[in-house]
Amino acid sequence: MSITQLRTAVELRAVTRVYDAGTAVTALDAVDLAIPPATFTAVMGPSGSGKSTLLRCAAGLDRATSGDVIIDGVAVGSLSERALTRLRRERVGFVFQAFNLIPALSAEQNVALPLRLAGKRPAPGQVAAMLAEVGLADRAGHRPSELSGGQQQRVALARALVSRPAVLFADEPTGALDTKASREVLRLLRLAVDRHSQTIVMVTHDPYAAAHADQVVFLADGRLAGRLAAPSHATEIAVRMAELEER
Amino acid sequence: MSLAWSMVRHRFAAFAGTCVAVALGVALIAGAVTLWASSRPQAPERYDAAPVLVHSPSVGKGSDGYTDYRSWTAGEADDLAARLAQVPGVTRAVPDPVFYAQQLETAQPAQAAQRGEDAQQLKTEETKGHSWSSATLGGYRLTAGRAPARTKEVVSHQPPGTRIEVLTARGPETWTVTGTTDGPGLYVTDSDARKRAGGVRVIGLTGRPDVDRVRAVLQERGPDGGQVGDHGDAAPGGAGAIADRAGLEDEEITRTRWLGAQLIIAMVVLGAFVAVFVIASTCALSAAQRQREIGLLRAVGATPGQVRRLMYAETAVVATLGGLLGVPVGALLAPLLAEPMVAAGLEPAGFEATVQPLVLAGSFGLGIVVALLGAAAAARRSSRVPALEALRDAAAERRAMTWPRGVAGALSGLAGAALTAALPALPLTTQTTAALGAAMLLLVAAALLAPVVIVPLVRVLTRPWRTTATGMLVREGTLTGVRRVASTAAPVLLTVGFTVLLTGSIATINESTGLDETAKLPVSHVAAPDGTPGISEAVAARQPGEAPLPSEVVLTLNGTTAAYEATGETDVTGAVLSDRIAHRPAAVEVTFADGETVRLRVTGTHDGPAELITLPRAQVREHDPDALTDHILLTGPAVPGPGLKVLTSHDYVQELIEEEDGIVRVFLLVLITLTAGWTALAVANTLLMATAARRDEFRALRLAGGGTVHALRVAGAEALLAVAAGTVLGGGVALVTLLGMRRAVEAEVGQSVDLQIPWTQATAVVLTCAVIAVAATSIPILRRRPT
Repeated sequence: MSITQLRTAVELRAVTRVYDAGTAVTALDAVDLAIPPATFTAVMGPSGSGKSTLLRCAAGLDRATSGDVIIDGVAVGSLSERALTRLRRERVGFVFQAFNLIPALSAEQNVALPLRLAGKRPAPGQVAAMLAEVGLADRAGHRPSELSGGQQQRVALARALVSRPAVLFADEPTGALDTKASREVLRLLRLAVDRHSQTIVMVTHDPYAAAHADQVVFLADGRLAGRLAAPSHATEIAVRMAELEER
Repeated sequence: MSLAWSMVRHRFAAFAGTCVAVALGVALIAGAVTLWASSRPQAPERYDAAPVLVHSPSVGKGSDGYTDYRSWTAGEADDLAARLAQVPGVTRAVPDPVFYAQQLETAQPAQAAQRGEDAQQLKTEETKGHSWSSATLGGYRLTAGRAPARTKEVVSHQPPGTRIEVLTARGPETWTVTGTTDGPGLYVTDSDARKRAGGVRVIGLTGRPDVDRVRAVLQERGPDGGQVGDHGDAAPGGAGAIADRAGLEDEEITRTRWLGAQLIIAMVVLGAFVAVFVIASTCALSAAQRQREIGLLRAVGATPGQVRRLMYAETAVVATLGGLLGVPVGALLAPLLAEPMVAAGLEPAGFEATVQPLVLAGSFGLGIVVALLGAAAAARRSSRVPALEALRDAAAERRAMTWPRGVAGALSGLAGAALTAALPALPLTTQTTAALGAAMLLLVAAALLAPVVIVPLVRVLTRPWRTTATGMLVREGTLTGVRRVASTAAPVLLTVGFTVLLTGSIATINESTGLDETAKLPVSHVAAPDGTPGISEAVAARQPGEAPLPSEVVLTLNGTTAAYEATGETDVTGAVLSDRIAHRPAAVEVTFADGETVRLRVTGTHDGPAELITLPRAQVREHDPDALTDHILLTGPAVPGPGLKVLTSHDYVQELIEEEDGIVRVFLLVLITLTAGWTALAVANTLLMATAARRDEFRALRLAGGGTVHALRVAGAEALLAVAAGTVLGGGVALVTLLGMRRAVEAEVGQSVDLQIPWTQATAVVLTCAVIAVAATSIPILRRRPT
């Protein structure tokens, strides 16, 4: 075990999340999960298994009803909304299914947004380099409406990575993309882990996407339902998924 | 800030409503305040050649807020003039007696007055007589003939030798023109003028007077023994003060300008209020539509403060654009409005709007402040959007009703109700303003509480159509989009409510005032002035019935010296004071209009206000030769005479009310047009925004087998539903308020009063709103992009 692995990028300790909408619904039930740095983790599970809730809690977007969430060594539970926002800004990146770019801003401005919100001036060439990394150097001045879905998702990825976050959360990043664009986005995610030691947590129900991860965590009814280290092939994952669905 | 600029540039359509609202608001305020600032009091032109004017001592401010003065006695005036004439630099010191003298050109002064309506200045100057020596204060000269030498000789604008019929306080007279002058009015000999005027209050100095020396002369103990109070430059007991030139303006002109200022204030208040209202509802809707985007900003690391600042910055950018558009429009608008204001009797003749850079800058700043105020609620709300919002697939509408909204609604409702209840007790002139304030509060309450009422209201209204496809879509669409409906209904509510409440309350109060005043008159017929300021003594003396003689006197009671409104009555033998004065002495020293002081026994009390005093008529006449009777309660058939007409008691009261009613009607017209225009803009804006944002929904409707016609029908019906909801709410609030007010009025008058509901205006306003609403929803659907 190397020194870097002594510390986790994200850790969930007995995290429970209960939604109180008329009747209480337990979306997460005492989940323990540790994500080592510089790894790519896929979270899978049937619809309603709590994987989106897991992602929101782990990313500090939602607060756990009980249990601890530790992002990059910081316990999230005790932070104020302001401190939590700052933590998200500085140590967490997001990629969503629906691209979620600000339509008013160009690709370049979208990428620079987290830095600007943090009151930092992007280093010269930083944003351009980031766009080049996702292969969109020539699209810097374009608005989201002038980009294809795959291109928009790559801009979103560049925006999430520009502040070099401790962990990148991706919620169905390929859900709205065609096969070709999906492959490109997954390749870029993998590249970020391999080349820049980026930690990535991705929720998906596409076994092909999950096959790019270092480990796959399965969820069912708000509980951990298994783990698959270093999956070699999508088929293996699909079989596990099918087993979960049938239970 | 650059982020805000990008946002605004990208989705300008969403901000256009705010921009236009700010532009209109700024234009209105800039224009109106320019008019107000241009309308400064000015000394009459008659004093143009007198660089220093000395005023008789003041006795402090009266209950109307204006300073009251005591006249000099004839001796004091002459003595002071003689002393002032010796001050270095003074060429002449001229006492300026002014009296009523109206030329009867074609036998009827009514016509002169009619002509005069277009030129107020001319009219007031035409009814004034002066001493010939005072012509020098205006630099007026004889162009022909000679100065008047004896009584009934006059200098006027007519050629020498003309014989003119003149109505004075004494009665009709025939005068001979001995000279022609370029000055306004009629000029008689100095001694004649003194005998006719009710005292001298101004001494004009020509030449280049040494102001300090003039002041020194005034500060010597006055020749009268100096018992009156201090004022401005004059020490206690001073013989007078250097006059503030603007303060010498004719009372009638001051009143005209005051009325104009009232309208301008109402316009500015209403303008700012409606602008805040429109901007607030636009911002609220746009913030609701942008929840997802704001959630995203929060997710990528924007703090609530940053979101709030972004919203404010966006609004500031839009408001700056709006202001830049509005300021020049306002600056151009003011001169165009000057003439209608004069025509409506709200500014004196010869009034001109001048460019007021400070006003323009101020309105620009105010526009931005108003816009930020309007955006405040939406910005606060947006900053609380959780980051999670960005992850939701569809932005489900959040609760439209929140508790701060409820509390704010309830509070402004209570305040409005209290003000309405107090309305009948206020003087007529402030009633319009107060009614406006009450209407604002109540309607804000209704708008804030609207979401609570809209759901049941929509259920009831759509019940008959609930089984048809369109009916179902409209019903469910409205019930799930309460906020959208409330946003559209709010401006309709505002306009309908304003129209009904303002017109209705004023009409109801007028009705009741008429009943009240008529009931107070003990006779069936009243003789009233006909085109003159009052009835002359000779004409009044021939009428059967009491002819009260109004004048102004100065009285020291319980150590306070103040001006009192005196009425001379024949059957009174001493001073009759109000029973509201606590410590009534056995006798009082009354200083009359001519400056003479007489000691009078207090012989009784009356139940009127404290500032009224009744005195023996003969004494009032003796000391105020210029007093005119304003009405005679006829106890028998009237004897015809110039400047006299006979009215039934009812008509007489109506005429008194109409005088103010005409102005009030102009007020209402302007204010309602203003609100209606503005809210039309708001309705169009919210609906354009709302419908444009619902393109996807309508696309789904088309995919489900509906045509464009269907989409139009659904959207149109929804818009009409919102208008209906606004009408019911606005009308309801107005009606309840009017009923409450009527009860208060009835209690005051002691008899039943008809509720006056302005159906025509209300219908017109509702139809306008409906047409605009349907148009604003149809346009975005019709010009949809092909899919």
